[in-house]
Amino acid sequence: MWQPYRLVYLLLFNQILLISIYSAKTSDQFRENLIIKPLPDGKVLTHFEFSIHSSNVDESDYDLFPRSIGQIFQTYKARELHLTFTQGRWNYEGWGYPIAPSAGTGVELWAWLWKNENLDKNWRSLTNALAGVFCASLNFIDERSTVQPRLSFRPEGVYIDSELFNSAELRYGSLPHENVCTENLTPWLKLLPCKSKAGISSLLNSHKLYNSNFHSMSVHVQPVCQQKECHNSQLEILQTVSTVFDPVRESGKRDWSLYQLFDRDITRACPLAIESNIVLMLPEVEDYSIDPEPFSIQTVDSTKRRFGVYDLTKSKTNFKLMMKWKEAFFEYDINPIQPDVYAHRYFTGFGQEHGGIKVNLFNRNPTNSINIQYCDVIPWYLRLYMHTLKVTVNGNEISSGPSYPIKQLFYQLAVDRSRPSVMEANISLPADTITTLSIEFDKAFIKYTEHPPDANRGFDVGSAVITTLSKAESKWDSILYQQTQDGIYTETLLISLPTPDFSMPYNVITLTCTVIALFFGSMFNLLTRRFVALDSENRDKK
Amino acid sequence: MSTTIALSSTAKRDLILIASILIRFLLFQFDNVTEILGSRVEIVTPVTSFRRLTEGIYLFQNGVPPYDGGIFHQPPLLLPIFAYIPTILTPILYTCLDLVFAYLIQEITRIKQQLYKDCPRSDGDEGEIEPWVVAGCYLLNPLTIATCLSKSTVVFTNFAVVASVYYAMKGNRSYAMFGIAMATYLSLYPITMVALIILLLNQNMPGKSIAVHCIILFIGWLSGLIGLSYLLVGSWDFLSATYGFILLLSDLAPNIGLFWYFFIEMFDQFRNFFLVVFQLHTLIFAAPLTIKFRDHPLFAVFVLGGITAVFKSYPSIGDASLYIAFLPIYSEIVNYMRYSFLITNIFLYSSLLAPIFYHLWIYAGSGNANFFYAITLVYSIGNIVLLVDATYAMLRREFDVRNPELKGREVTQK
Repeated sequence: MWQPYRLVYLLLFNQILLISIYSAKTSDQFRENLIIKPLPDGKVLTHFEFSIHSSNVDESDYDLFPRSIGQIFQTYKARELHLTFTQGRWNYEGWGYPIAPSAGTGVELWAWLWKNENLDKNWRSLTNALAGVFCASLNFIDERSTVQPRLSFRPEGVYIDSELFNSAELRYGSLPHENVCTENLTPWLKLLPCKSKAGISSLLNSHKLYNSNFHSMSVHVQPVCQQKECHNSQLEILQTVSTVFDPVRESGKRDWSLYQLFDRDITRACPLAIESNIVLMLPEVEDYSIDPEPFSIQTVDSTKRRFGVYDLTKSKTNFKLMMKWKEAFFEYDINPIQPDVYAHRYFTGFGQEHGGIKVNLFNRNPTNSINIQYCDVIPWYLRLYMHTLKVTVNGNEISSGPSYPIKQLFYQLAVDRSRPSVMEANISLPADTITTLSIEFDKAFIKYTEHPPDANRGFDVGSAVITTLSKAESKWDSILYQQTQDGIYTETLLISLPTPDFSMPYNVITLTCTVIALFFGSMFNLLTRRFVALDSENRDKK
Repeated sequence: MSTTIALSSTAKRDLILIASILIRFLLFQFDNVTEILGSRVEIVTPVTSFRRLTEGIYLFQNGVPPYDGGIFHQPPLLLPIFAYIPTILTPILYTCLDLVFAYLIQEITRIKQQLYKDCPRSDGDEGEIEPWVVAGCYLLNPLTIATCLSKSTVVFTNFAVVASVYYAMKGNRSYAMFGIAMATYLSLYPITMVALIILLLNQNMPGKSIAVHCIILFIGWLSGLIGLSYLLVGSWDFLSATYGFILLLSDLAPNIGLFWYFFIEMFDQFRNFFLVVFQLHTLIFAAPLTIKFRDHPLFAVFVLGGITAVFKSYPSIGDASLYIAFLPIYSEIVNYMRYSFLITNIFLYSSLLAPIFYHLWIYAGSGNANFFYAITLVYSIGNIVLLVDATYAMLRREFDVRNPELKGREVTQK
């Protein structure tokens, strides 16, 4: 009879204890946000953002900040770390710019590491450790694919310009052929305080996420500041998942609901989150209905874009959300609004010997020229000829002079089997033009062991990255930056290299050696033996 | 009668000279022709490609160290030559090099005929070849013309070798050693001919021991050239990028040689072993040939040139054009050669099929690498048969000259 009472007391006591522990440790702040944006072509972008700010991350004390990442970050002396898994390609012309800079197809990793004598070893260890954490082939980012861009990939966390370049170095590597799947998502989810048990992250259903047009998942660890003076900089881990769904494909209409997209509803906010919002970017036209209506509607001052906010901490019941358009079926807009800057890259030429790369850089801004940083990493087996670099603007070749679009050019030559070529340029794109860069290359003939098992599929060449710094803004004062960079990623490319006959090694060794032996034997014979006349006796014996 | 023959002979000579200049100048006018020839794997290799040289010059002029990468593998002194020569003069330079080469080979023939004037002859000998015919053979050799039009830098190596031989036969020690040092500097393999050049010098002044002096001269010139290169590019990277590249074969681009497909298909653990064997095999013939043909060093130059052209790591038809240029000098051995018909056919066969099979593999996709590999084997065998047969003929003729009493008897090797 008395037992239930005691149980209730015990539970109550435990609850009080737990609450007091959490309130004592207020160091880490967890925020979760889901941004939903209906795209102009009827697709729906869902962008999840989970961030944890921690002011004291050291080796012993972890609160909400994931220990596995924190330890890797500390051990390998990283200053900033960005890892992105992407499947599919972001369609810049149809969708505009992504909310978080999406990476090119495959896996992209870049980090600023503190300078010391073990920096390259740390980078190798970092890639290996992350490979273990995320079940990805990141350990294949070796010196053959690692580069140090000079213009692109500035830090995204706070930094002091003069201090950074003396004390840290950038390393960048990508694996364009890497597939992203559930086995990468599961460890990613485990980094979250509520896993996928509660809150916004409970929507992350891998069956639905990988059944989409575009999927990008990332982890960013970087130092941030809360106040202007930046007395105590915090470490932030930002985890994002961006997915583009296509409701039109299924129903012919743009209507969507959370349940339809993810096969789930949100039961409650994550109790550990201090902020738990669903943000719906409201379309400019008004022929839609949302259920339920947003709890509050906010407006971005500069662009007049409105968005509705649902604060999940105030929602007591299961949270459902749906959006309906007042139309029988969706009609595609034939002339979508294009973003200012976008790019396409492709191979030219034919045959397996020579080829070329062409990049079209579009500036659709009718009045302003735009400065971009172009960064292209080309594997060593494409031997670039820099003297064939041609720049055309709207089809007219420009080779020098003030109108020459390339203002600054860094070029690192490839070394066979050890490092790729890197071409980085500071390019000024004139208003309303197409600037085209083209360069020729020779394809290398590589050993039969260097071909992948599916040799005739070809080799992947990672995306070129275009960074526009037009948005660069110093938030606080002149020496402390936190830039917003827009990365525009071009297509990854697939190139087939000339293949040998893989079944032939023994035949080739035998045949070539026979030819050499033929010469050696005959020559040896001629050089060591003398001519003699056969006398009559010898002939008779014969 | 004799005057008319002489006249027609000079007329023929002039005709050949004019024709060879015209062919070169006319074809140089077509950018297509030079571009196609300049990218054919049979004609240019990574160590002689003019396109790569252009890239090297571009990098050099733009402050990028040209040897800090995998694209440029030619010696540094070629950079300033082409950096300061206007593009329009390049065809003239290449044509002139060919013409001077022809002149030198003609003079070499003349000197050789003078040297061996008093030697006993074999009964099978016909009249001596006229020196201008040797020059004509070189100038009108399709291999020579293609190499010249492709602007391959092997032309410089060939020129240095022939100039070295010429000065050696003239007895000019310093120039001869400079020539062979230059050739070694440009493409490494001519180092095998140093001893032969010394022997050629020795023919002029028998009895005097000049070997030590010549070797010191050679080392001096070579280190001078390498030192100058260091001053030009400011680092020693070029040594590994040029000579290391030739020896270690890091680029497996197809050519008409035996290395590329062998090392594409080679198992990694045996790669170094076979690399050493193959390179040694190329260099090792210098010693026995020099000893065997110590009375005919010029003939040994021909054979060693041939061995280099077949067994070097990046051979091209330009290398073949060098050694084939020396063949007509020894016109007297032609009667002793047994496989002339076969050799001619193999050369025709492989020059016809090599481009076709390469096209089938790389562009049409209807053939595979084995097609082109097979034709490189055929080409190599053609060269090998030519070299072996010429060596046989030379030795057989020597035997006849030395033993006139054994004429008509059956002869065997012992």
